Amino acid sequence: MSTQDKVEPTQDKSVASANAVVRRASDHVDDTPPRSRWFALQHRYAPYLFLLPFLIIFATFGIYPIVKSLILSLYATNGPKDQIFVGLSNFRFLLSDPEFHTAVWNTAVFAFWSVFLQLPLALGLAMLLSAKWLKGREFLRLAFFSPHLVGQAFVAVLFMVLFVPQYGLINNGLHAVSPQIPLDMKWLSEAGLVMPALVLTSLWMYVGFNMIYFLAALQAVDRELYEAAMVDGANAWHQFWAVTLPGIRPVAVFVLVTATIGSFQLFELPFIMLNNGGGPNNAGLTIVMYLYRTGFETGDLGYASAIGWTLALGVMAISLIQMRLTGVWKRGGE
Amino acid sequence: MTRAIHPGRPIAYVLLFAIAALTLVPLIWLIAATVKGPDDLFHYSFFPPLNRFTAHNYQELFSKMPFFRHLANSTFIASTTVVVQLFFSSLAGFALAKYNFKGKNAVMILMLGTMMIPGQVVMAPLYELIYRLGLVDTYPGLIIPGAVSVFGIFLFRQAILQVPNELLDAARIDGCSEFRIYWDVVMPVSRPMIGAFCLISFMGTWNSFLWPQIILHNNARFTLPIALNQLVGLYQQSYGMLMAGTLLSVLPVIILFMLLQKEFVAGLTAGAVKG
Amino acid sequence: MRSFPFGAAALCILALAIISGLCLAFAPAEQHNATLRLWVFAKAHYDTYTKAIPNFERENPGVTVDLQLVSNSSLATRLQSAFLADVDVPDQVEIEISSAGSFFRGPLNEVGFLDLTDRLHQSGLYDKMVQARFAPYTKQGHIFGLPHDVHPVMLAYRRDLFEQAGVDVSKIETWDDFIAAGRRVTIPGKRYMIEMSDNSGTQLEVCLFQHGGGYFDPDGHCILDNEASVQTMLWYVPLVAGKNKIGGDLGSGQILTKAVEDGYFLTLVTPDWRSKSIENDIPRMAGKMALMPFPALTRGGVRTSTWGGTMMGITKHCKNPDMAWKLAQYLYLNKEDLAMRFRENNILPCSREAWEHPSFHEPRAYWSGQPLGELYSKLAPQVPFQYSSPFISTAKGKLSEALVDCVQQYKAQGDAGFEAFVRARLKRSADEVRLRIARNPY
Repeated sequence: MSTQDKVEPTQDKSVASANAVVRRASDHVDDTPPRSRWFALQHRYAPYLFLLPFLIIFATFGIYPIVKSLILSLYATNGPKDQIFVGLSNFRFLLSDPEFHTAVWNTAVFAFWSVFLQLPLALGLAMLLSAKWLKGREFLRLAFFSPHLVGQAFVAVLFMVLFVPQYGLINNGLHAVSPQIPLDMKWLSEAGLVMPALVLTSLWMYVGFNMIYFLAALQAVDRELYEAAMVDGANAWHQFWAVTLPGIRPVAVFVLVTATIGSFQLFELPFIMLNNGGGPNNAGLTIVMYLYRTGFETGDLGYASAIGWTLALGVMAISLIQMRLTGVWKRGGE
Repeated sequence: MTRAIHPGRPIAYVLLFAIAALTLVPLIWLIAATVKGPDDLFHYSFFPPLNRFTAHNYQELFSKMPFFRHLANSTFIASTTVVVQLFFSSLAGFALAKYNFKGKNAVMILMLGTMMIPGQVVMAPLYELIYRLGLVDTYPGLIIPGAVSVFGIFLFRQAILQVPNELLDAARIDGCSEFRIYWDVVMPVSRPMIGAFCLISFMGTWNSFLWPQIILHNNARFTLPIALNQLVGLYQQSYGMLMAGTLLSVLPVIILFMLLQKEFVAGLTAGAVKG
Repeated sequence: MRSFPFGAAALCILALAIISGLCLAFAPAEQHNATLRLWVFAKAHYDTYTKAIPNFERENPGVTVDLQLVSNSSLATRLQSAFLADVDVPDQVEIEISSAGSFFRGPLNEVGFLDLTDRLHQSGLYDKMVQARFAPYTKQGHIFGLPHDVHPVMLAYRRDLFEQAGVDVSKIETWDDFIAAGRRVTIPGKRYMIEMSDNSGTQLEVCLFQHGGGYFDPDGHCILDNEASVQTMLWYVPLVAGKNKIGGDLGSGQILTKAVEDGYFLTLVTPDWRSKSIENDIPRMAGKMALMPFPALTRGGVRTSTWGGTMMGITKHCKNPDMAWKLAQYLYLNKEDLAMRFRENNILPCSREAWEHPSFHEPRAYWSGQPLGELYSKLAPQVPFQYSSPFISTAKGKLSEALVDCVQQYKAQGDAGFEAFVRARLKRSADEVRLRIARNPY
């Protein structure tokens, strides 16, 4: 039997070319019985072998450190050389540690604002961009996405200079638009302005990125649903609620969860922008920054691990809650 | 949508292009800042008149740090990491997508769980481990831990799920080994996803800061983000030079993106949309 | 011909990997098998030592020194991780005063630096140097660092603008005089008498030392809430907030240059090292700047304080500690180079004998012909003590936080209830530091 009978011809170019490859591949293979035992063997063990390189590295550099850091969280250390067992005292201290509370608060506020400003903005832009009558889509897409290409470390350096009071671009721009706004707004050195500065910067970086996801999701929504809705007399707003939102739900949830997880891990941006510190009154101190400070500046790796684990558990809990609230599990997950 | 010109259309255009302009402004400022001398930096908002263009910032940059060496380091580490990640992740993604075997769910749940754990938690024990392996301040020390990309595996799994099983069965009937199937059938079909993955992975490694900061000690092995951060710490006086360094450091990724734009968008969204 | 299964993109990247790998292979990192490796974080020191080291190598044939400039923000971290991993530890390192404490957190025998107490006493250096400078690098009576400097503080000011505004420097003796003049010339948003921060404790700390306060007492107890601290905060906040403020803050870097050139700041708090930064970064103000002693708290009081500091430590990994000690002394105390070094970086060395050298009495054109060295060396013996602790960076952070809160309080409520607020707030900061100290099992 030849392969041509088995495989249905498809429109897809890549599948067709893959067919060609298969045909070519099979030309080189002899169909001789002695191979069949080896063939069955390799068929059975293939998945394990394929996973093996990954698993080895994952176990060594992924699992082992995770377990080790869990153990470390029960110690107080002076670097890994010196350890004193303290049991749960690290976690108990976390509950009353004012700096940790500040870090949690800052990170939560950041996550909240950046996610809830980002997503509607990204969705809105995506909707505008996916309108059929739009010209210049390629250019606009590139424009919105370009900030994401600049790594966090570089964005931090750039925006550090842009936020400079009195002479910086942002202050001068705002002042030009509305002279009420003072020129010497000290974005990075005034406690109340640090978080807005960080949120603005992260918006700049990530809206375009999330927009791409939404763009694709929007394009996947069945046109007929819209037409059916219009026939039923739904206006644009209703169409949005009844057709668009449910249609993009999986992607929206994915974006929501990943954006949240990402915001909770914020480190490089404030670290570099605030000159390797937490900013005025620790207004820019995030959980991961506090972890870094405790572990690598003070040297207590045990406490740092405790912080890390608290963060991990918190993030996992939030993600699970988000997924449940948006009903992903109800549909049967993936 | 109705045929008649929607009254909102010009507003939409204005809005879109205004936001696009706002988005590009920092980048334009970045480029402009690299050609302005120290006196002009804050004097002109963006570009100075042509006769005041200066190469001073770039000259200073190249004299204060071995830029091309750092560029080579970043390129080597990013590209090698991508190649390694690509191979391992696609193999593993293939295994998880097209096979059912004992322990499959356990592995997947394990991987999913670790994705949520911030990398910083494992920094300290990982560093200790790297040290015991004698790999501190070496290229392998940087690349090997990065060879594990759980995100990549899920991405490939998602993409490979789309590959029709008939293709695989057909190949098997013709006696192709599983690896052959992977190499000759699945990978070529998944090229868009590969393109996307290459870009994401390259970008991630190129821009990564914290781990190289910890692992690398010798200035000769520094990657661009670390070198630039060091520059910032030492030469706060010269914003123009810092901007020049920043611009040159982000240019390679931007160029790569321009080349791989289509694959990137297609691959990225294929994963999220179908899931 | 089968095309690359992974596609063009992957092929390109593979090619990149190979090309860059080859480039790096043909230009391997230079292996410095030098006798001594020295890390420094200050550019000024780096430039000076680069000139001094060849001479040292000539006097000690067979000895090579590898000097590395490491950014201060990462020096402490890199050194920590080098200590922890036992890899790539330099033989000698210059550490800044506020980072030094973190290396003394663990048990005494685990401190990564060599105990220099005996060497200091035997060589007689201990008596020749300004004693106050040993304090920050001492743990339980053991000294681990050779102090580099004294860092007395003066005020750098725009002489031309002062003259224009009719401010007579010779009449300014105390802070009250200074503040009165400041109120006259300050125009908020356009011109500030002095650069003083309302969100970071940099200048506050300098004033705190002058008031006789500090972060810790000689036994390592936190004294952020003692009377001196409270008085300093009460005195400082109205200078940077509220309607009578005379202090502004823009951050550092290139904008500071512009600010001074524009007359946005008329005076800067200037320890000796900063005077050189000012010369380098604000070259256009040459001849227009001058130095005046720090205003005193009361008539006849101490007219200086201190800001910053560096120590040279020899790590326990060093295989040639005697040679390292020799190098340290050479770089810090060598009389012949002293003149050259002082001209290069304006930093007053720690040894009193050195100040007699003529180069310290040279007039400086940048500073309107003033003899910079003489001015600073007159103030040096009065520099206050600065005691350290492994928790010095925590304490500094807490002070800055307290400052921000006090500034906010003052802006909102003015003098009403301010003293009580400051007391309570500083006590909170001090308690937080004490809590951390108590948690330290070492």
